Amino acid sequence: MREEAILFGQTRSLVGILTDPPESVKNTNLPGMILLNAGIVHRVGPQRLYVKIARSLAELGFVVLRFDFSGIGDSRVRPDNLPFERSAVSEAQDAMNHLGSARGMDRFVLLGLCSGADTSLKTAWYDPRVVGAVLINPQGDQQDAANELNAFAVDRKISRYYWQTALRNPKSWLRAVRGEANYAAIVRALVFQLRYRYARPKRASSGMNRDPANFRSLVERGVRLLLVFSKGDAGLDYFREVYGEELQHLCSGGRMDLHVIPRSTHTFTFLRDQARLLGLVRDWAQSVTARGLEVVREAT
Amino acid sequence: MVPFYFGPPHKPLFGCYHEPRSGPQRQCGVILCPPLAYEYINSHRAYRQLAVRLSHVGFPVLLFDFYGSGDSGGDDELEGIPPHLSDISTAIDEIRRRSGVAKVCLVGLRLGGTLSMMAGAERGDVEGLVLWDPVVDGRVYIREMTTVHQDLLGHSFSRPKHGTTNGTALEILGFALAHSLLADLETIDLLAIRRKPAKSTLVLESDGGGGARGLSEHLKSMETRLEYQLLPGPRIWLPDREGGLLVPAPTLQSIVSWIARVQP
Repeated sequence: MREEAILFGQTRSLVGILTDPPESVKNTNLPGMILLNAGIVHRVGPQRLYVKIARSLAELGFVVLRFDFSGIGDSRVRPDNLPFERSAVSEAQDAMNHLGSARGMDRFVLLGLCSGADTSLKTAWYDPRVVGAVLINPQGDQQDAANELNAFAVDRKISRYYWQTALRNPKSWLRAVRGEANYAAIVRALVFQLRYRYARPKRASSGMNRDPANFRSLVERGVRLLLVFSKGDAGLDYFREVYGEELQHLCSGGRMDLHVIPRSTHTFTFLRDQARLLGLVRDWAQSVTARGLEVVREAT
Repeated sequence: MVPFYFGPPHKPLFGCYHEPRSGPQRQCGVILCPPLAYEYINSHRAYRQLAVRLSHVGFPVLLFDFYGSGDSGGDDELEGIPPHLSDISTAIDEIRRRSGVAKVCLVGLRLGGTLSMMAGAERGDVEGLVLWDPVVDGRVYIREMTTVHQDLLGHSFSRPKHGTTNGTALEILGFALAHSLLADLETIDLLAIRRKPAKSTLVLESDGGGGARGLSEHLKSMETRLEYQLLPGPRIWLPDREGGLLVPAPTLQSIVSWIARVQP
């Protein structure tokens, strides 16, 4: 395995690390893997997770590029006023262009955590060179979703905090006894949780959200998807609300795999959870290699 | 700025070299030594900003990752102290080769500061040294890291049943600290260092409780030109609950001004 530091992009201002597989497992039929920043954490990823993923995939024969979007990590800020949602997609395409010219690749799998997953999805919609995506705790288009859905996501998050974290923390109990707690929020969380569990609440509206249609179109295009969620992540709530039973339907078609890792934080802080995530990504990459790529190649 | 790998092929180190951009050509290179583990992740944004600011006033700057950290080679299980001191020496050789300057300043936050001071005292050829909230006592450092881990995750639903240790390492916020590193960390006591670490030293402290003032008192007994600054500000190396990465502009400005003053 060999790692190379590179500068690429239209003004050669994007900083990336290109990981090449060892000669013994090199396979030029495999798509290039591109890792997109998780939030504003630079290209090593939270807990250095992206380094582990990149090296692990390279051991399987993949060429992997992890890089910083403009203004993140070591990449320079863009001189234009392009909003992040557009510049990120454009720079993910720059990464594909670079692998195209440097390694002769024309098919790619995008991988990202949190906002990196959302950008992977958006880029996949725009660019037919994307044949697969690994979406780790995507948050979906929550900003543009209907207010009702946003309110639901916030309530669910707060409720989960009280039930799963605050209840176990002696400091929280101490604050409650001292009169320093937010009692209204506690009552709201309790009521929400009870209604959610026992009253079969009506589904929050997804309003004018375009996610489901876009998602469906990707699956129809033959793009292979792996979705991994931490149990209790706000993104999972969002996806379940927006997609409902369609999630299972999409999975049963064999084009999409969905896994929920129990007791994990949003960024897979514990080594135990990092190992589980790494195992899922490796297994998925191997299965895609084994049974999916030729079909995808024909489809594109 | 040029990203590149350097050092021995079996032990590649990643670095970003920032060429001097403008102003007077300084005859001194600056090496930024980062902290380790989660403190490294949280402080990278500020380090990058510091590198840019220093290069803008004419310094060649090398921001690098220790072996086993960041983009450098090596697995995650961070090992003992001596290899890290050797990494600093490799970085010094590299900036001298790239920039052509002989003089070198070291800047380090937290354990990066500690390692910089140890390297400076061992080598005896460092011109300037910035110790930014350095770890003065290794046992206190381990205690602090364990407390941060417990505070953030100890009561979480996500907590592993078996606590924070596995067979060969202590797990702190997603990083495995090897027992060999822990054993070395426990022996860290900057107050026991008797050789001056640099010709000039700046000790910066973000709050009054980190032991840096005691260290500056200790440094007074050496022949280094010492300056101590208390600059109240956020402890940027700690995880931010909102997921932000903080850049303390006054602290960065203070570091740049001091280095520009001692290395005109």
